[in-house]
Amino acid sequence: MRKLATRTVLAAVISAFVIIFAASGLLPSLAYASAQQENAKPSAAGGTLVMGTSADFPPFESVDAKNGGQYIGMDIDIAKYITEQLGYKLEIVNMDFNGLIAALQTERVDFVMSGMSATDERRESVDFSDIYYSARNSIISAKKNPYTSIEQLKGKRVGVQLGSTQDYFAETIEGAVLKKLNKIPDLVQELNTGRVDALIVEDAVAIENVNANPELTLEFLEAEKDENGYAIAFPKGSTLVSDFNSVIAQMIESGQMDTLIEQWFPVQKETDETSSGLNLDFSILKEYIPYILSGIYVTLLFTVVSALFGFIWGTVLSFFKLSRIKPLQWFATVYTSVFRGTPLLLQLLLIYYAAPQLLNYDISPLMAAGLAFGLNSAAYLSETIRGGIMAVDKGQMEAAKALGIPYQTMMIKIILPQAMRSILPALVNECVALLKESSLVSVIGVQDLMRRATVVQSIEFRAFEALIFAGAIYYVLVLILTSLARLLERRMRRSD
Amino acid sequence: MINVDHITKTFGKTEVLKGISTTIERGEVVAIIGPSGSGKSTFLRCLNLLETPTSGTITIDNIAITNPKTDIQRVRQRIGMVFQHFHLFPHMTVIDNITFAPRKVKGMQEAKARANALSLLDRVGLADKADSYPSRLSGGQKQRVAIARSLAMEPDIMLFDEPTSALDPEMVKEVLSVIQSLAHTGMTMVIVTHEMKFAREAADTIYFMDDGRLVEKAAPEPFFNSPQSERAIRFLNQVL
Repeated sequence: MRKLATRTVLAAVISAFVIIFAASGLLPSLAYASAQQENAKPSAAGGTLVMGTSADFPPFESVDAKNGGQYIGMDIDIAKYITEQLGYKLEIVNMDFNGLIAALQTERVDFVMSGMSATDERRESVDFSDIYYSARNSIISAKKNPYTSIEQLKGKRVGVQLGSTQDYFAETIEGAVLKKLNKIPDLVQELNTGRVDALIVEDAVAIENVNANPELTLEFLEAEKDENGYAIAFPKGSTLVSDFNSVIAQMIESGQMDTLIEQWFPVQKETDETSSGLNLDFSILKEYIPYILSGIYVTLLFTVVSALFGFIWGTVLSFFKLSRIKPLQWFATVYTSVFRGTPLLLQLLLIYYAAPQLLNYDISPLMAAGLAFGLNSAAYLSETIRGGIMAVDKGQMEAAKALGIPYQTMMIKIILPQAMRSILPALVNECVALLKESSLVSVIGVQDLMRRATVVQSIEFRAFEALIFAGAIYYVLVLILTSLARLLERRMRRSD
Repeated sequence: MINVDHITKTFGKTEVLKGISTTIERGEVVAIIGPSGSGKSTFLRCLNLLETPTSGTITIDNIAITNPKTDIQRVRQRIGMVFQHFHLFPHMTVIDNITFAPRKVKGMQEAKARANALSLLDRVGLADKADSYPSRLSGGQKQRVAIARSLAMEPDIMLFDEPTSALDPEMVKEVLSVIQSLAHTGMTMVIVTHEMKFAREAADTIYFMDDGRLVEKAAPEPFFNSPQSERAIRFLNQVL
């Protein structure tokens, strides 16, 4: 089940990347680098295998946020067992489910185990092992308005996870209006608020969700042959497939697989407490607080890196725009227009997924994010800084010239400090925006504040508490940032 | 020695300087007077290439500064300039304004630059303002600091572009007396001014400019007592 990362999206994204760089005049060097990349071999052997997973899907994979943030779950245990049998060490990389196929195609990971069904669409992009687990679909609905069969769902509003196998299955329900969301907790919330009548999700997930939400009820559907079977995904042509298959076969035969699976499937609890309204219970966060708080460091580090990079590069770009050298002017103008004219999220995905292929450099998520945000922020800042520089009295430049001060010294020591005073409020705005937008980086698996909040959300099957907590932290961070800015502003106004 | 040979300057379609030639000797103090829009300031700004002449050449001590290959920054280090609106660096204290160029351009030691600056401030009567920001100073004080800032580079030539035009009347005198005291040190100076009395007392030579041309060039006494050209006569009748 779950989402389908499509190859076409990646292809479109990569071609957009190429267009951007072609426009910047960098294409020749990139084309050279990518030609070299084609000759490079994937580095699978050598002791360590890298596994990609989206650890927000208990009991298959999740982050043990209460105990030091280890990755745990059924898939993890199976992966550990197989790699151990084959004599490899296992390294786990956590990322968004949507990015897993791309990560395989770019060979950032050696294999993917993430409750991934071996659909025909996916088979076009990656190779799969034999199926190691088959799931059943199930209907979740409210106890006071229960649905027990597909027949009853005709013409109703049905929630599914976007791109999941249940999504494709639900498409076949006559007259059903589908609501497709990215995350299961969000779907449960939609059901609780009555925006949908029922959800179709996979059995294991359904059990956990119903346990966490006593007002919901659950109905299993017949298993459909191997349609929903989970398999391990590999890059096309990977030599690992047959090795993995032999271990899987041996595990199934020896009954080891069943033992492993049973460990991870809790029995459905019988509860009869009911509640209504928002039903917030912040006490559930207690054990997760250290885990969430450590995301502050990542968020701040990221904000500082991207703000600094954005400011320096933005300043250089603004000098380009003010220079008399036409190609520099032209470059800065095109650059600004491209980076302002395309979504930040797209730039982020491009840099993270395309950089390894184009530049033959395995960029870390935090670095990719810092780069994307810095490059983007520079486009905006270059305009702000240019405006600030132009607002500085022309006489300042003449006085500096008349003293024989070189251009660079003049700009950095005399013009910029004065420009800075007038654009400080705009710079603070940009930093605040960066701090908040940094939540986007969770998409490529950076463990920032937002990512940690959603991890807790998916473990506890509760929509709001972790998000509200994270929101409060963001707000406090912004408050601190703005008061620091006010202090700085007062310092700069000393000379008035 | 400054040698100016047939310089012209055109802004768009307007010809502001229509061919000016002259020679200014070492130690000579020149006051340029004339009606507004006659090209006085543009001529002055050509001398340190804040404006690039459209044609013609300027040579300072045998260096052709109008030659594009000349390192104009080096030339400018020898030419101080004082502006109508002072153009002090507002984000720096008075002392930093003065020491900035000697330190950054000439690589002078901080302590030495500071000592020089303090003695210059003393000379313009502002020793107590060293650590003030320009926004705390009056116009006359700002202009005196600006003069000290230029002098800190130890120039051979000083250019003054209407140094008292933006000042309240009661502050004109303090600035003029500083400039006048400089004139006695043997510094080559070119001063664009509307202060006729000052021009008469301080200058060795009066340049009268009108409509982009250097119309008359004479010592102060002959010029003010018996101007030759009709335009100079008309101008002096208006201002005196």
